[in-house]
Order: sequence, then C-alpha cells, then structure tokens
Amino acid sequence: MRLEKCYFCSSTCYPGHGTVFVRNDGKNFRFCRSKCHKNFKMKRNPRKVRWTKAFRKAAGKEMAIDSTFEFEKRRNIPVRYDRDLMSTTIKAMKRVQEIKARRERAFYKQRMAGNKEREKSLNIREIQKGIHLISTPLAANKEVQKSAETSKHMETD
Amino acid sequence: MTRVRRKRMHCNNKELHRKYKTKRRTKDLDQVQHDLLPENKSRLLNQPEDEDLPGLGQHYCVECARYYTDDRMLTEHRRGREHKRRIRDLKAPAYTQKEAEAAAGLTTDNGRALSSSVVGPQSLLSLKRKNDIEAVAKAAEKAAASSEITAMVTE
Repeated sequence: MRLEKCYFCSSTCYPGHGTVFVRNDGKNFRFCRSKCHKNFKMKRNPRKVRWTKAFRKAAGKEMAIDSTFEFEKRRNIPVRYDRDLMSTTIKAMKRVQEIKARRERAFYKQRMAGNKEREKSLNIREIQKGIHLISTPLAANKEVQKSAETSKHMETD
Repeated sequence: MTRVRRKRMHCNNKELHRKYKTKRRTKDLDQVQHDLLPENKSRLLNQPEDEDLPGLGQHYCVECARYYTDDRMLTEHRRGREHKRRIRDLKAPAYTQKEAEAAAGLTTDNGRALSSSVVGPQSLLSLKRKNDIEAVAKAAEKAAASSEITAMVTE
C-alpha cells in the first residue's frame, strides 16, 4: 500500500481517496480532498496559505528540525523480508511516535509560553488608554464630592 | 433600475467558474520558470507566425505567458501591476511535491548516505547496518588477536 502526500496540504492520501491532476506536461499533482484541489485550481501558493503544513513549518508554528523526522523515509532500496527486523521496526515506530508526540507537546508549550502575561499586559494597557471612555474625571470628582456629602449627613444625623 | 448585488456573487459568477476549470488552466509558475531559461526564452520570443494566436504570436510576455496584439499593448502590460506582481512571484523557487513531502516530514533515503560516512542524525536502517558492519569488524579483530595469542603460545 503506497501512501502519498497531498501536494497542497501535505496530509496523507490513502488509496481510493482524493484526486490526481495530470498536467499537460505529464506532471502529477495529488490532492487529499476537493478543498486542496480547488485551492490549487485557484493558483494559490501553499507556502502562503496558512492552514497548510508547508506554511506552518516555514513560519515556525510546528517543530521542523528534530531527530524523530529521520525515521520516516521513502526508501527506494528493496529489503528482504526479515521477521525480526519487521517486529523491531514496528516496536521502534511506536516508540518514535511516543517520543515525537511528547516533543511536539513540549514545543507547543514553549511556543505559547508567556502568551498569558502578554495578553494581560495588553488588556491593562487598553483599559488605561480608554479609561476616559468609561468615566470622565469630572464625573469621578462629582462622585467623590457626593460620597463626602452623604458621609457628612450621616455624621450630622 | 434596481440595485445590483456586488457581494456574495462567487457562486453565480460564470467567468470565475470558467477560469478555475482545469480545461482552461494557464501555465504554472514552475513552467514559466522553465520558460525563462535563456534557450527556451529565445525560442518563445522568436516564434513563427501563427494565425490562431493574438497578433500572430509575435508579442509574447514570457513571465505572464500571454500573447498581445501589438508592441504597444505589450509595453503597457509590462508597466502594469499584474506583470510586476508576477515577476516578484517568480523570484522565489517554485513549490514542488518534494517540498510538500518535506513539510510532512517525509524525505527519501536511497542508501547513499551510508557510503559517505553519515554525519548527524541517521536513519534506523542505516544505523542498524552500520552497527552490523562494526560488529563484524570487531569479531574479525578478536579472531585475529586470539590467533596471534595461540601462535605465541605454540612458540
């Protein structure tokens, strides 16, 4: 079973899924779904479309350089079937997947670190900038006076 | 006259649908980049006269892959925004299937890395092979050493 990658979004195309466009110079373009095909027909550049893998990798949204990427390869050398090699490979695949998932989580955490504080400070700044929209200084003064008066009345009573 | 709708007309736009048909697909950026190579460019700029093409195919913009009726139209087009944008787009190398696969973390390994003493990260198979070779070499060394020892003992 040959699993191809989508030309546009780089996701996996399973047999029987998606479409292949053959350009008039004989070049093949494989798409995982009609969404990718439509975007290709609109001549969009996958590097500039934000939801594609190519964009996310190039823009540093996802882990791009890692030793776990060195395992999945298209190997064009035939290897004689060996039961032990097969079982160790499958074991290794699971282990690599585990490690990769953990590293990706760590990467995401690193990428998002400090976002909360930044947002908080931005919000505070916005409030400080626009505080005059909520309450004018005159109104604030009046309120202070009113409260002072009421407190005086209370004392006299 | 009543108001003509301007927004949300894409589903109703015949020209757009025609434009996006693969039947009418124009040249892609990678094809144009191939055309821009000096040998291809000279061929495209000096085409034989063709009655079916606009302006007998004598006024061609290689970057935009378009025929113009006369030189005036061609120079006017060259001054335009569309042509300049196209030139800017052509500067970057074209997107390929290889790049798509690399983005998904899939590269090719044809076993050539093994011969040139791999530096840095290795694949599981090549690592295993390398380990096997090393083990064989070690065993040979051991055998040689043991044979030497036996020779000394016999002496």
